[in-house]
Amino acid sequence: MGFAISLALGAVLVLSWQLRGELRNLQEEPVDSLQWNVTQLELDAVRLEAAMSLAVAQPGAGLTEVRKRFDLFFNRVGTVAQGTMFAQLGLLETVRPLKARMQDFLDRTTPLIDGPDADLRAFLPQIVALVGALRQDMRIMSIQVIDTSAALQDNRRAGLAEILQMIAIASVALIVLLLALLALVLGLNRQAVRRAAEVQRITSRLEATVGTSLDGVVVAGMDGLVIDFNAAAERIFGYSRAEAIGQSLGTLIVPAHHKSAHEAGMARMKATGVKHMVDAGRIRISAVRKTGEEFPVELSIASNEGPEGMIFIAYLRDISDARQAEAALVAARDEAQAAEATKTNFIAVMSHEMRTPLNGVIAALEIIGRTTLDAKQTRFLGLARNSSKQLLRHVNDVLDISRIDAGFLAVAEDRLDLPALLATLVDPLRPTASQKNTQVEVRLLSEFPPLRGDPFRLGQILQNFISNAIKFTDGGTITIEAEVQQITGDQAEIEFRVIDTGIGIDEADQARIFDDFVMVDPSYGRTGEGTGLGLAISRRLARAMGGEVGVESVWGEGSCFWLRLPLKVAGEVAKARLAPVVDVSQPKSAPLANAAPALDVLVVEDNETNRIVLEEMLRHLGHRVTLAVDGSEGVVLARARRFDVILMDLSMPLTDGWTAAILIRTNGASARSRIIAVTAHARPDQMDRFAESGIDSWLTKPLSSLDLATALASDQAIRTPAEVAPQLAGRAAPLLDTNRLEELTKIADPQAFDRLLAQFQARIDSILDSIDAGASTEPMADLAAMYHEAAGAAAVIGAPQLHKRLAGMEAACHGSDRAAILMGQSDLRHIWRETCKALAQRA
Amino acid sequence: MWTASLFDRNAVLGATLAMASAVVSAPTLAETMPVPKGEVILTMSGAIGTTNGDGVLTLDAELFATLPQHSFTTGTIWTEGTATYTGVLLRDLLAAAGATGATVKLTALNDYQIEMPAADALGDGPLLANLSDGQPMPLRDKGPIWLIYPYDTVAGFRTEQTYARSIWQLNRIEVAD
Repeated sequence: MGFAISLALGAVLVLSWQLRGELRNLQEEPVDSLQWNVTQLELDAVRLEAAMSLAVAQPGAGLTEVRKRFDLFFNRVGTVAQGTMFAQLGLLETVRPLKARMQDFLDRTTPLIDGPDADLRAFLPQIVALVGALRQDMRIMSIQVIDTSAALQDNRRAGLAEILQMIAIASVALIVLLLALLALVLGLNRQAVRRAAEVQRITSRLEATVGTSLDGVVVAGMDGLVIDFNAAAERIFGYSRAEAIGQSLGTLIVPAHHKSAHEAGMARMKATGVKHMVDAGRIRISAVRKTGEEFPVELSIASNEGPEGMIFIAYLRDISDARQAEAALVAARDEAQAAEATKTNFIAVMSHEMRTPLNGVIAALEIIGRTTLDAKQTRFLGLARNSSKQLLRHVNDVLDISRIDAGFLAVAEDRLDLPALLATLVDPLRPTASQKNTQVEVRLLSEFPPLRGDPFRLGQILQNFISNAIKFTDGGTITIEAEVQQITGDQAEIEFRVIDTGIGIDEADQARIFDDFVMVDPSYGRTGEGTGLGLAISRRLARAMGGEVGVESVWGEGSCFWLRLPLKVAGEVAKARLAPVVDVSQPKSAPLANAAPALDVLVVEDNETNRIVLEEMLRHLGHRVTLAVDGSEGVVLARARRFDVILMDLSMPLTDGWTAAILIRTNGASARSRIIAVTAHARPDQMDRFAESGIDSWLTKPLSSLDLATALASDQAIRTPAEVAPQLAGRAAPLLDTNRLEELTKIADPQAFDRLLAQFQARIDSILDSIDAGASTEPMADLAAMYHEAAGAAAVIGAPQLHKRLAGMEAACHGSDRAAILMGQSDLRHIWRETCKALAQRA
Repeated sequence: MWTASLFDRNAVLGATLAMASAVVSAPTLAETMPVPKGEVILTMSGAIGTTNGDGVLTLDAELFATLPQHSFTTGTIWTEGTATYTGVLLRDLLAAAGATGATVKLTALNDYQIEMPAADALGDGPLLANLSDGQPMPLRDKGPIWLIYPYDTVAGFRTEQTYARSIWQLNRIEVAD
C-alpha cells in the first residue's frame, strides 16, 4: 500500500514538473509574434510597392516616402530573417529559400535606395516588379507558417491535455490510495480497539480467577519480592495483601530453617538460570504463617517472562488438614491390616495347634474302639468320635479358608482321571444317599481328553456339592454330570453339575449361600457337617483354580450346583508324580483294603503322643514297629537295619524329615526302603521336594488306621538307587534366585551389593578350602558349623542350589556321615563353580 | 552611461523617489527642455509637464543622452546572438517629462501602436534603447528607439505580451489618463 501511494505521489510530482515546463514553454513561445511579423512583412512589402508605384506615377514627387517605406521593409526583413522564432517553431528549413530571396532583393536594391534619386527613379518600375514577386512568396510562407504553428499549437495543447489528464488520473489514484489507507487505518484502529477490549476482558477474567482461586496465588519477581498476593493467600498466611506486597518472600513465608536454602536457591537461579523448584511440578514443603506457625504446603511454581524481567507464580495449598487426614488414614489402614493379619495368623495357628491334640483324641478314641466295650460305652464312644470328627472338620475348614485367603493355596497339575475321580467321590456316599431313598447317578456327557488339574481340590468341591445334595434331598435323585464346554488350544473348559430333586433354594438365598458362615435354613440343624463354610470354601477353591461356581434352583423342585473349570489338556503322559494316597479330611465308610503282610516299620516322630498313637495303630495292624524320637536317631536306626517302611514326620527340630530322608537314601541298610512322609499339610507345591528328598508318598495328619493300612498295603514301587540318585541330584534348583538378587540390588546400592557378593564368594571359597583340608580329620560339629555358615550365606545371596547342597552336607555332618561328606565335596565344588559363573555373568 | 542592476531594490526605490521628486519638484527641473538641434527621434505628448514645443516634448539624440542612461546585454527573438543596448529607462523618461497619466501609448514609425498601463511603464524592465553596442540604431535596424526588455535575465519578460510591447522604430509617446 505504501509503495503504491509513493508511486502515485511520485507520478503526480513528475507530471506536475513536466506540466510546469510545458506551460513555461508555452508562455515563452513567440508563436504569435512570428505570425504578426510574417503578416506584417507582407504588409510592409505591399506598402513599399504602393509607395513605389505612386512615385512612378508621380515623377515630380519626392522619394522620401519610398525611402522611408524601404527602410521599414528593410527592418522588417531583418527582424524576420534574424530572429530565432523560426528555429523555435522548427521552420528554419522551410523559410530558407525565401530568406535568401529577400536578402538578394535587399542587396540589389539597397544601393539604389541609398544612391541618387535619379538612379532610383529610373529603377523604380523594376523594383516594383521584384517586390510584387516577393510578395507572392511571402504569402505562401505566411500560410505555411500559420499552418505549422496551428499544428504545433494543437500538438502542444494535446500534449498539455495529456499531461493534465495523467495528472488527474495520478491524483485520483493518489486520492483513492489515500482513502484506502484511511480505510486501512480505520480498520486497524477498530482492530486495536477490539484487541484492547479483548485484553481487558482477559485481564479481568484473570483477576477474577486469581482472586477467587481457592488456592493461594503468590507472584514474586526475580528479586524475591512479592508482587501479588490473592485472597486465598491472605487467608492461608494471615497477611493482608497490602502487607505482603513488596516484602521479601524469605521473610514473609519461608520458615527459618529453610531460609538459607531459599536464598541460595534464588541466588543460584539468578546466576545460572537453572531452576530447581520452579516449573518442577508439585512440591511439598513447609511454610510459615504470620503467627509464626509452621505448616505443610503443597505448591507448584511457574515462571514467566514479564516486561520487567522474570516473574514467578506460585500456587499453594495448605495441606495440614490433608496431611493429618492422610496420616490418620494410613494409621487406620495399617492398624486394620495388622489386625486382619493378626486375626488370620491367630486363627491359623490356633487351628493348627488344635489339630495336633485332635489327632491324638481321634486316634485314642479309635484305639479304645478296638477294645471290648459295653453298650453304654460304645454309645458314648460313638458320640465322642462323631463330635471329635466334626470338630476336626470345622478346624480343617477354617484352616482351609485362612490358607486360601492368605494365598498359600498352590494348585497342582496332576493327571486327572475324571471317571475314576467321580467314582471315588460318589461311591462312599452312596450308602448315605440310599438311607434317604435317594438315587445317585454319574453321567459323563462328553468325550474327555486326558486332563491335568488338582484332583484333590476338585474332589473337595464336588464332594461338598454332593453331600449338600444328599443332605437336602429326601427320596429323590441326584445326578452328577461332567461335560466339556469347549476346547481352545490346550485349555479345556469343563462343567460339572450336581443336580438334585430336593427342596430347592429360595431365590433370595441363592446369592447368599456361597458366603461365609451362611446356612440356608438353620432350623435344619447341624445334621452332620455344617459350619456354613463348605460352599464358601468351594467357591474360593474354584476361583483359585481359575473357575467359578454357581447355583440354579427352584424352591420345592430341586437345585443344580455347577462348577466350571479350565483344565489343561494333558499333552503327554505325566511324569510319575506323587498323588496323595488318601484324602483324610472326610470320613470314609468304605471297607478296609487287603491287609498288608507284617512289615518292619520305622516311625520317626518327635511328638510323643503321635509316636505312641502310631505305634499302637501299627501294632494293631500287625506290623513290627521301631521308634525314633528325632531325625538323627531315625537316620542312625535306618542305616543300621533295613526297614520295609519308614514313616517320617516332616516337621521335627534339628534334623527334619526332609533331611533325614535324604540321609537315609544316601547310604545304609534302608537306602531303598519306602519312606512315607507324615505331614500336617497336604501341600502339592512340595511335590518336588518329596521327590528330591527321596520320599515316596505322604500321609496327612491326623492319621486313621485305615489311611495307614491303605498306605502300607498299596503297591508302591521300591526305589532303586539308580532312580534315587537322579532324584537326589534333584530337579535342579536354580543356580541363582534372580528374584532374590533383584530384591537385594534394590535394597542395597550397587557398590554395596558388589562388595557383599565379593565377600560372600571369598568366604565360601575359604570355607570350602578349610573343609577340603579337614574333611577327614575335623570333628563333625566343626564341619557342620562351617557348612551351616556357608549354607546361610548361600541362602542370603540367592543361590538355591548351592544352599540345598550345603544344607545337605550339614545334615550329613549331623548324621556323622563322613563318607557322605567326602563324596559330596567334589559335587559341591562343581555346583560352586557353576554358581560363580552365573554370578559373574549376571554382573 | 552607467550600467546598474535593474533589480536592485534600492535602485527601484531611488528611481521612484527620483520620479516622485521629479513630479513634485517638476518646477525645479526644466519645465521646458531645450529645443532639439538635431533630428528629432522622439516626440512626447499628452499629460506631460515638460515641453519644449507647443504641448509636446521633442528630443534628439543629444537631448536623449542627457537623461539618465542605462544599459544591459541580452539576446532577443528577433536578433541573432546578444547585444548591449543602451538608453533611457522608460520610467526615467516619463519622470523627466513629468508624465501624470495612467496610460502610456507608444507609436512606431510604421504606425504600430501599443498601450501600457503606467504601472508597467514605471516598472524595472522597459528600456528605451537608442544605442546597440554603442552605435545608434538606424531605421533599417529597429531605430531610432527600441523599447526593449532584458529577456535573457528575467523569465517574466519572455511572454507574448512583453514581446508585443517591445516596439521598435519608436518615435512617438503619448501619455493619456
